[in-house]
Amino acid sequence: MNGWTAITSRLNSIVRGYRSGLLTAADYNNLCQCETLDDIKMHLSATEYGPYLQNEPSPLHTTTIVEKCTQKLVDEYKHMLCQATEPLSTFLEYVTYGHMIDNVVLIVTGTLHERDVQELLEKCHPLGMFDSIATLAVAQNMRELYRLVLVDTPLAPYFSECITSEDLDDMNIEIMRNTLYKAYLEDFYKFCQKLGGATAEIMSDLLAFEADRRAVNITINSIGTELTRDDRRKLYSNFGLLYPYGHEELAVCEEIEQVRAVMEKYPPYQSIFSKLSYGESQMLDKAFYEEEVKRLCLAFEQQFHFGVFFAYMRLREQEIRNLMWISECVAQNQKSRVHDSVVFIF
Amino acid sequence: MSSSSSWSQALVKVSPYTFAAIGIAISIGVSVLGAAWGIYITGSSLIGAAIKAPRITSKNLISVIFCEAVAIYGVIVAIILQTKLESVPASMIYAAESLRAGYAIFASGIIVGFANLVCGVCVGIIGSSCALSDAQNSSLFVKILVIEIFGSALGLFGVIVGIIMSAQASWPAKA
Amino acid sequence: MSGQSQRLNVVPTVTTLGVVKARLVGATRGHALLKKKSDALTVQFRQILKKIVSTKESMGEIMKESSFSLTQAKYVAGDNIKHVVLENVRNASVKVRSKQDNVAGVKLPRFEHFTDGEPKADLTGLARGGQQVQACRAAHIKAIEVLVELASLQTSFLTLDEAIKTTNRRVNALENVVKPRLENTISYIKGELDELEREDFFRLKKIQGYKKREIERQMVAGKAFAEEQAVEKVALMKGISFNSAHNILAVGAEKDEDIIF
Repeated sequence: MNGWTAITSRLNSIVRGYRSGLLTAADYNNLCQCETLDDIKMHLSATEYGPYLQNEPSPLHTTTIVEKCTQKLVDEYKHMLCQATEPLSTFLEYVTYGHMIDNVVLIVTGTLHERDVQELLEKCHPLGMFDSIATLAVAQNMRELYRLVLVDTPLAPYFSECITSEDLDDMNIEIMRNTLYKAYLEDFYKFCQKLGGATAEIMSDLLAFEADRRAVNITINSIGTELTRDDRRKLYSNFGLLYPYGHEELAVCEEIEQVRAVMEKYPPYQSIFSKLSYGESQMLDKAFYEEEVKRLCLAFEQQFHFGVFFAYMRLREQEIRNLMWISECVAQNQKSRVHDSVVFIF
Repeated sequence: MSSSSSWSQALVKVSPYTFAAIGIAISIGVSVLGAAWGIYITGSSLIGAAIKAPRITSKNLISVIFCEAVAIYGVIVAIILQTKLESVPASMIYAAESLRAGYAIFASGIIVGFANLVCGVCVGIIGSSCALSDAQNSSLFVKILVIEIFGSALGLFGVIVGIIMSAQASWPAKA
Repeated sequence: MSGQSQRLNVVPTVTTLGVVKARLVGATRGHALLKKKSDALTVQFRQILKKIVSTKESMGEIMKESSFSLTQAKYVAGDNIKHVVLENVRNASVKVRSKQDNVAGVKLPRFEHFTDGEPKADLTGLARGGQQVQACRAAHIKAIEVLVELASLQTSFLTLDEAIKTTNRRVNALENVVKPRLENTISYIKGELDELEREDFFRLKKIQGYKKREIERQMVAGKAFAEEQAVEKVALMKGISFNSAHNILAVGAEKDEDIIF
């Protein structure tokens, strides 16, 4: 009950209230039956998304739905952040750093390719916005970027780790993103450990899963690219179930079957990989998402910890992904595949 | 033993009235602290949960009342204890019986106070969980209420033991 | 236009006839050739049509697949992956070049796509959905291939359509206008020539008749003259009048036909 105040307690209850607003399996079943996007809108108007979608003109587009749902998430987040007191507000900010990293990387990439900053800003994820984000465009190289802009942002310590890279070419951008993300995850992990109590316990489990998932994904996605083993090893976060022996083994994997062999040794992931048929990796993401949702839902089973906020944000994001998937399937007339990637939250 | 600053000297030489008064103060003060803590935990959760599920407010006032009961236990015991406080002649103030009465009231106050403190916190936490789970699934309310009743029984145990304990407090009769 | 008016305005002479006949032969040959060309083009046209139909059908499928793969990538890698990929592009990696094909003398534009430089397996979506991004990229490249092919086929289709129309028009023009006109001209010239011949013959006949009559007349005149002469001679010899001499001769003539002069 570290840092547990009345406000925190109230927000905790609110976030649980929000959670009960998440779409249920019955909702998803109804949505899957929809024939058009307007049907989806009609179904959603009965849920908490109603007020966000009701004023949309009728020729609805998938991106509009996703945008509005994200808008709802952002509103809820801002509401919570406004009321949060100290350890929780930092925690909530930590939750969005991932988006912030994405935005910074997006702007930097766009600037390198001489795109319009205003245009780039519109494409940024609203959760990852910070005040000085527009000024990112003035920087020409990494050092300047750090000195002028990033030093004032919470991301500064992460950037200081990869500031040595002089040139920003394409390869570096993606590696930079992952290095930043690694630093962010480790920092978040440390922060949660510092909070102690149930928060540390639950968050370390969730973050370890996140770190392990990243490690596996990086391994699979870097097979066949020019990323060397050492570079790959450097992108793994230094905690989690796979750390350190699993990382060593993953770093040398050259094909997906080797990854599977490595993961078979870890009981929590064995079940995920055993679901996949031989040589198939398409369903891996869904399996990971399902596992993540399961873990996030478990976070709600305990009280007096901050994990619920993290879990709620993640569940909401998963729900938006589900909605995106369903509406895309409906829009593209691929109804047979609707059930392929929808992860039921309840 | 002979030194005037040893602990046994302190226990014997401090007036039994002091112990009795501290006991009474602890009984009411700490009980109210426990009750307040419990209400604080329950109340904040209840308010938050009631935003999305307003139907739970009146039902979950029971949790607040349970916490309140803890304070009432403290008040009751404090009143009982203070009725035990009788005046004795000055010559009898350090008599063994006086000392016994003083300690009994003191111990009774501590028992009731701390039992109620943890009971209040316990009821508060369960009450908060009760509010949250009721908001999610109303069928859980009664089940958690049972747990809450068990929790509040803890305070009652303290009260019972405290009252029995205070019954031991008999001051030497006036000569 | 009556058939008769469809003829060349020529002087009906034998020389012209020769020239026109030569033209007719040329037109016939040209007609045959053009007909062949039109047939060849039609065959090609049908082939392209068939290809277009099949390509269009497969295109529906492939476009569906590619846009669905985008959905998959978005699902795994987040909605922002679109922008991440877009902002990372410097120049197009798949380009289209056009060249010309020659089908029976018709130049058909043909588009070909080619990848500019190595298709580098970049690290986009390294931590989330890199494979989906790659799959999406592959699906879209396939879609572009089909689109380029379809564009090429469509353009060929239009060009061929135009070419076939022109050729057919030419064939029809040759068949229905030029050849009949030439034939008409030929028959006209032939008719004219026949008429001229007949006229000549008639004239010859006529002249012959005239000549005959003249000769007869002259002969009659000569005979009369000879008779006159004879009468004169007789009259002179016999000293009789001309009339009686005539009679003598007439009688004599009736008796002896051989004696004329």
